Amino acid sequence: MTPALFRIALYGSLAICLLGLLWRVSTWFHLRVGPDACNVTVFQRLITAVRGAVSVTFSRGLVHVLRAFFVDVVFQNRLFAREKLRWLGHQLILTGFTGLVLVHALASVLAGKLSPGYQPTLDPYMFLRNLAGVMVFVGIAMVFAGRRRQQTGFPQSRRPIDAIFVALLGTILVSGFLLEAHKIASPRAFYRMTDQFIGTTDPEELKPLRALWASEFGVAFDDMGDGIEPAVIAEGRELHGDACASCHAKPTSAFISYTAAKVLAPLSGALDEARADTWLLYLHLFACFIGLALLPFSRFFHAVADPVSLLVNGAAREREFSSAGRASRRALALDACVHCGLCDSSCSVGPLARHLGNPALLPSHKIVATGAHARRRLLSHGIGPDALLVSEGAFQCTDCGRCTTRCPVGLDLADLWEAGRGDLAIAGLPAPSQWVQARSAFAWAESLDSRSTPDAPSAPLASDRRTFSHCVQCQTCTNVCPVVAHSIDTEHGVDLTPQKVMNLLRLGMLDLTLGSRMVWDCATCYQCQENCPEGVRVTDVMCELRGLAYHRLGSVRNPGGPS
Amino acid sequence: MKFALFVGCKIPSRLPAYEISTRAVLGRLGVSLVDLDFTCCGYPARNISRDAFVLAAARNLALAERAGLDVLTPCKCCFGNLRHAIRFLGEDEALRSRVEKALATEGLAWSGHTEVHHLLPLLARKVGIDKVTASVRLPQTGMRVAAQYGCHALRPSNVTRFDNPMAPTIFEKLIRATGAVAINWPRRLDCCGDPLHEANGPLSERITLAKLADARQSGATTICTACPHCHLRMDAVLAGSTSASAETGTEIKTLLYPQLLGLAMGLAPEALGM
Repeated sequence: MTPALFRIALYGSLAICLLGLLWRVSTWFHLRVGPDACNVTVFQRLITAVRGAVSVTFSRGLVHVLRAFFVDVVFQNRLFAREKLRWLGHQLILTGFTGLVLVHALASVLAGKLSPGYQPTLDPYMFLRNLAGVMVFVGIAMVFAGRRRQQTGFPQSRRPIDAIFVALLGTILVSGFLLEAHKIASPRAFYRMTDQFIGTTDPEELKPLRALWASEFGVAFDDMGDGIEPAVIAEGRELHGDACASCHAKPTSAFISYTAAKVLAPLSGALDEARADTWLLYLHLFACFIGLALLPFSRFFHAVADPVSLLVNGAAREREFSSAGRASRRALALDACVHCGLCDSSCSVGPLARHLGNPALLPSHKIVATGAHARRRLLSHGIGPDALLVSEGAFQCTDCGRCTTRCPVGLDLADLWEAGRGDLAIAGLPAPSQWVQARSAFAWAESLDSRSTPDAPSAPLASDRRTFSHCVQCQTCTNVCPVVAHSIDTEHGVDLTPQKVMNLLRLGMLDLTLGSRMVWDCATCYQCQENCPEGVRVTDVMCELRGLAYHRLGSVRNPGGPS
Repeated sequence: MKFALFVGCKIPSRLPAYEISTRAVLGRLGVSLVDLDFTCCGYPARNISRDAFVLAAARNLALAERAGLDVLTPCKCCFGNLRHAIRFLGEDEALRSRVEKALATEGLAWSGHTEVHHLLPLLARKVGIDKVTASVRLPQTGMRVAAQYGCHALRPSNVTRFDNPMAPTIFEKLIRATGAVAINWPRRLDCCGDPLHEANGPLSERITLAKLADARQSGATTICTACPHCHLRMDAVLAGSTSASAETGTEIKTLLYPQLLGLAMGLAPEALGM
């Protein structure tokens, strides 16, 4: 590769990477999650972050931040406490990758400066490179294996760019090993070196050296023949000592590449012909450059966002966040989520999600939806079926806090969900009790008349006349109802009474009850049911009516636009 | 005595003191507790799907049955909901087979052998009032306590089998066992207002305020609760509303029953999450 091309590619990808990082970090200060985030400006958020960072640096809080750095960022304590296999995998990837960057990618800058005799073909570099490569490989496999153990019944939300990034990582590793393997076995590479350092490429003249390099350095000459005499090898060793040894250790320590070289040996002539060294190098370098450029746009940006988030958590131990600080923290959380799925596997409403067939109940899906809404993508085409599922997911969450407790990067998910629900409510996707009560019972009944309704869930009580046929309209239910008793104004009071709801059912006017305030404001205190002299299961019916309403009114709720 | 402890969703995130104090007093009384991989009891899903709520409950019942344990919950809404699920599964064959099919996909089954207990009847009947009384070292004399019964445990009585729904005595007996005075108050069996908090905030607050005012007018210094929903609702209205303090005075406070009992046992407030 020409130096100019190399430089253009390197600086080009670096520039894209830096601009990408800048753009991603800027979203931490301008994305808005939560109604309270709309009350603060980007400038206030920036100032708050800078002021917070400075005040923490010069206070006792610094201890917590340092502790967070070593315990949470470096050691990854939270992941260790929850998933040992994935922790090990993750540490292997991190150590291996850092090793490759320092000892290999930045070798000319770092290792060359620190150790004057540095050569990539000497030990320990050869060994370390292979070790680091293996660590990354094994680590990725362990993380994938850990992920497979956490099936929730729904596919994980993945973006193509993340798959591309993993493919690039694989390409970098495989091409690196293959390039090293090929260079070990390649006669062409051997002659290029002898030409440069001994001044000849004559096979006969180089016979002793060739004998040594064929038997101990893995070069796959196709014209060596069998039965090399030990004396010839001894002669080659002398020449090797003079011309090669200062830069070349035995490649057996490159344990992966050397094994691969043995496997590739029969092909090395053909690979030489095809100039494999050149295109493998191009493949390796360009995969690195593309990976570098894509990093800020992929999920692997978490390598930047997670440490920041964990350090902020450390700083947050001793202080309350202002609304500006909370707003930035939520936007940061959107980037810091790794979508590892640990939250999903412990989600309290996971079984509900499976039963309803709605993955939007699960935390890792909710955070994607929260991000999409903050980026104005969720409702870009109005309130569609996906948005309704997202709303169901948001409002079926029981706030049990398990996702927050188990998140390996310590995200305050509970705060994020609350903020997200606030945003959804403003956008016309509030809790069921809210959207139902936005229209009157009569308006709902009319819109039901004009449209056919889909399969409703089972409502064995409400659909069975025997449930309420013995109601004598004595009004006991109404008299003991606390909601009726406290309905002292028309604005917040109920429209029907329990006894009227029962009467409408007796008259076969079920549709008229579905959107009624009485049904949705019922406290389910069971006073009516307990006190009914006829044993009518009034409260059980109310609950069934809500389930029916949720589905039937939901089907006529948004004919293509916000309610 | 050994039970699978079902803490539900609200307690760990919003009221951890309830779990801490429950474990502390039950430990003293020789009740051992096992933690299973429980999920939501299904109560919140009751508004959107009968099948979903019963299935969510049944999954937990099946987990307990697999462990060979009965369920003990300190939450009255979890308690009521799990009991409702058992009733619905018993009376609706079609529902039961749908639920069984869904459970089987998780490798679970429920044959109907799980009992569900709430903390209060467990203390009053399984442990026994006498044993509870005997555990008291520091009688809480002078404390005037109003028992907050909580709807979902009390009613419908044919499902919950908690106590006499019209004139229950179980909570007062347990309060008296601690040496405190259990006061009588007209609204002791009323709704706390929590379930319609989201649907109709102002009406919900009116219901809660009426209860708080009644407890105070009846001479209570403390409202004793045994449900996270009742407790959090009353705390929120006591703390958040200026009209609340105007109507009820600030002297009234809430206390979880296991905290009251724990104090009477002589446990340190810290051991009770206080």
